[in-house]
Amino acid sequence: MTMEPSLKDRVEELIRENKVLLFMKGNPEQPRCGFSLRVVNVLESYGVEYGAIDVLPALQPLREVTAEISDWQTFPQLYVNGELVGGCDIVEEMDESGELATLLGVEKPERPAPSAKQELQADNPQQSPPIQIER
Amino acid sequence: MAISTDEVRQMIVDALPGAEVEVIDETGTEDHLRATVSAPQFSGLSRIEQHKLVKKAVQSRFDDGSIHALSIRTTVPV
Repeated sequence: MTMEPSLKDRVEELIRENKVLLFMKGNPEQPRCGFSLRVVNVLESYGVEYGAIDVLPALQPLREVTAEISDWQTFPQLYVNGELVGGCDIVEEMDESGELATLLGVEKPERPAPSAKQELQADNPQQSPPIQIER
Repeated sequence: MAISTDEVRQMIVDALPGAEVEVIDETGTEDHLRATVSAPQFSGLSRIEQHKLVKKAVQSRFDDGSIHALSIRTTVPV
């Protein structure tokens, strides 16, 4: 008898296998939530490789799973080295303070004042498979 | 539904005695709030753990729909 891995197992595996992993609404090319967009902009500015999972196709199940794993159920959620770092507020705060650079093991990028590099495109819905990993 | 900033502030202070708490209404609609919290209980905790303590203090008002969004900033008092 074979068992389908549960969603929780799959999520735990993804967190383990991706040093930097972002659960977000939409995808990095087309974020569907302003908070997800802000975290993407921060990550992109560091130039680090990260996995991104669009939570929208399985929002409620993923809320339940992340509540179980990390006691947190709002998105975006950034994981680094298998640990939940936080959502938009925390990521931006740690970016400003330099803690994020330390955590990611890279130099804090020099950059002009943050600005949204792309507008939220809610009028152009894009269906993605339940879990999509982009590298 | 909405909630007063004073009520949110009091819930956080009750959960974290000794905390300094400021709550502002970001949109004027009393459901998108920003809380700035400095609490001795945060000492030694990661940011996400600090945020969890604040979130838990007001979770009941998320659950009943009074608050849609709460932006949190935490500091450890020096």
